[in-house]
Amino acid sequence: MKALQAGLRAALEFLSDLLEWAFGSRSNPLAQLGALGWFFFWIVAASGLYLYVFFDTGVTQAYASVESITHAQWWAGGILRSFHRYASDALIIVVLIHLLREFAYDRFHGPRAFGWITGMVALALAYVCGISGYWMVWDQLAQYIAVITSEWLDVLPIFAGSIARNFLHSGELSGRFFTLMVYIHIAVPLAMLAVMWLHIQRHAVSRINPARPLALATLGALLVLALVFPAVSQAPANLDIAPTRLGIDWFYLLTLPGVERWGGGPMWALLGGTAVVLATFPWLIRRRRPPVAVVHLDECNGCGRCVEDCPFTAVRLGPRSDGLSYEQEAVVDPDLCVSCGICVGACPTSTPFRRATALIPGIELPDHPLADMRAAILAASPALSGAERVIVFRCTQSAALAAPDPGVAVFDVPCVGEVPPSFVDFALSRGHADGVMLAGCREEACYQRLGGRWTEARVAGTRDPRLRERVPRERLAFSWAATTQRAVRLADLARFRARLHARAAAGGPTAPETARTVWRRNVRSLLALRWGAQIAWLAAFVAVAGFFSIAPAHQSLAPGEAEIKLSLAHPGQRRIACRELTPQELAKLPINMRRPVNCPRARWPVAVELWINGRRLLAGSYAPTGVWSDGPSVVYTRLEVPAGPLELRLRLRDTGRPEGFDYDQSFAVQLAPAQSLAIDFRPDNGGFVLHGATATGARP
Amino acid sequence: MTAKLLEWRDAYALGLPEIDHEHQQMIAEINRLHESLDHNATADDVVDCLGEILAHISAHFALEEKNMRAAAYDGLAEHKADHERLLDELHTIASDVADRGRYDSAVLAARLDAWFMKHFGSLDARLHRALRVRR
Repeated sequence: MKALQAGLRAALEFLSDLLEWAFGSRSNPLAQLGALGWFFFWIVAASGLYLYVFFDTGVTQAYASVESITHAQWWAGGILRSFHRYASDALIIVVLIHLLREFAYDRFHGPRAFGWITGMVALALAYVCGISGYWMVWDQLAQYIAVITSEWLDVLPIFAGSIARNFLHSGELSGRFFTLMVYIHIAVPLAMLAVMWLHIQRHAVSRINPARPLALATLGALLVLALVFPAVSQAPANLDIAPTRLGIDWFYLLTLPGVERWGGGPMWALLGGTAVVLATFPWLIRRRRPPVAVVHLDECNGCGRCVEDCPFTAVRLGPRSDGLSYEQEAVVDPDLCVSCGICVGACPTSTPFRRATALIPGIELPDHPLADMRAAILAASPALSGAERVIVFRCTQSAALAAPDPGVAVFDVPCVGEVPPSFVDFALSRGHADGVMLAGCREEACYQRLGGRWTEARVAGTRDPRLRERVPRERLAFSWAATTQRAVRLADLARFRARLHARAAAGGPTAPETARTVWRRNVRSLLALRWGAQIAWLAAFVAVAGFFSIAPAHQSLAPGEAEIKLSLAHPGQRRIACRELTPQELAKLPINMRRPVNCPRARWPVAVELWINGRRLLAGSYAPTGVWSDGPSVVYTRLEVPAGPLELRLRLRDTGRPEGFDYDQSFAVQLAPAQSLAIDFRPDNGGFVLHGATATGARP
Repeated sequence: MTAKLLEWRDAYALGLPEIDHEHQQMIAEINRLHESLDHNATADDVVDCLGEILAHISAHFALEEKNMRAAAYDGLAEHKADHERLLDELHTIASDVADRGRYDSAVLAARLDAWFMKHFGSLDARLHRALRVRR
């Protein structure tokens, strides 16, 4: 598992390098997958609202209204329909990469299990949205989805009848059904939104909006796709004709061909099994949990800075418990704390300049005391040698760094955000080093959240506690590198030391003029290339979304084949006949229980046989449904048969007779390729009834 | 000279227990510093005292800023900028002593007095009036 995660991380970081080169670190799509998910959700929601205005519920109206939206107003409804489809596909792409990334970086433990589980629920709901959406169009794809999905659902024991029976033949379908679909297609996205909201609840400062340039560029790419490759319907649905070759949206409908081939049961087992395994990851893959942050009340006055900086809302302010004159104190929720130490970096008392009393901050990680960190710096600094002595504070979750020579000392911290800015001041102003490097994770690879961002803001003086203005910023460097980017980290360090060296040589912070000119020229030439790379990436992204939304085509029914659907819901006769009670018997009963007829509810099972051209293809005994075995027996089967003339023989027994059949009918039919023959059973009409095919001769 | 530089008086009490508590603490620390200056303490001792003051005043400012934000105090930006400037200055004062390894007690006392009075004399009084009115 660890190897798999490491491999995935390497792949993601390679991809991230390429994307960052093209888009820059602020707009790197891989660093804002969740935010892009929200962005696509809003696009789908907004375009869906517009489409809803023009959508008609009705067997023929549904298709016709979608056609009208698509073609008659291609400049609005048509484009928005394409947005609706392609943004949903894009949503699945970014969400799946998001899931993969959280898995690769092991970010599903402890308090993060909540996000892991809610994310999976949201993803499942997204699939319900997608499937119900394609269903509403009522083209051949919708018909395929209707038949396969309802067969799939029928496998579950929770439905008494057969949902697939609703799609038996064109006469059976009701417009009500589309009203139901509209309801599902609005209710489920709302539920999904609620779960998405829950998904980000345990996070302070969730990023739900992508960087604006990236958002606009993505929107533009979707518009181009909508114009070049508009989303259109396939041929209208006709339940009397089975779909043969279909364009399938593989992002949403991947499972349906599986159901078609292997049956609903195995697909439920596969999906359910995968979901259960994924959902139990936080508990299956254990990780040692370091002790959580503790509050030292003697040093806490309830200023709340740790509360503001905690990325997991694990610290809150509670009423004072120790009798001191303060109103509040920091309280850590051990279930939510990930022991990142960002709260320690935020605490105003964590200053190393304090010497007379012990260096105990108001909040601290028990296995990483600040006093030890200061002691380590004091112990290491005399040993540092050379003109560019550098102290590196390195996040243990980021790229490893071994001191390359005696001029560098590396201190491991759980997150760069744990380093109080005053420690940087201390190291530089007390002459313990010539430079300080804060080495953390690249944003999307950040194991703890927000540590890098808060650190940059503290140094920039836009977030408390601020790095004092007197600290020369040119003596400070950041290095953001994920675990696989050791070379980047070494290069960052070398560049920083070269900068320190140049500064020392020049006696001031001036950089050589020539280098700057060269750099500017390089940037200019790169900028042109980057635009090209951005366009190429966006084009590739929408091309993938567009292509797999319709291709490769799926062959449902083989050429030259036809289909027979046998479906019936017929109650067998009662095992014990009803009996009228005599007046004497009735008189014995309490006054509120005098039922004139006593009917034991249990029914006989219904036996059904289907013969085609003299071969028995189906023979079964179907138990009555219902808790009291008093419901109808339900039969549904769909068979592929060669087109051409067929001799059908149908037999049914619904009584308790030991052998023989109560109904035995034969039909000669002629099936065209792709024709879908529906066989129902209506005792009022004399028994078996054929739909969608003219029987060339029926013999009773 | 053994008289304390500052004496806590009930008149200083603002009726905000947490602020009063920290002010008392601060007065005690500043007195301790003055006492050590009077007794020709070593530069190290002075740096120790300044370090304690730094730690506590940083926390005090942080709490005050929280209270200002909670009360939507209109002078927040100005007051906050003053806090930052004061912290900068105190760091500089402490560094000067630490770097030189000696100090001129008269000059240091004057700097500290100026530093202390600048803030507490004007801005703090206005803030505490405002916060008290609110309660």
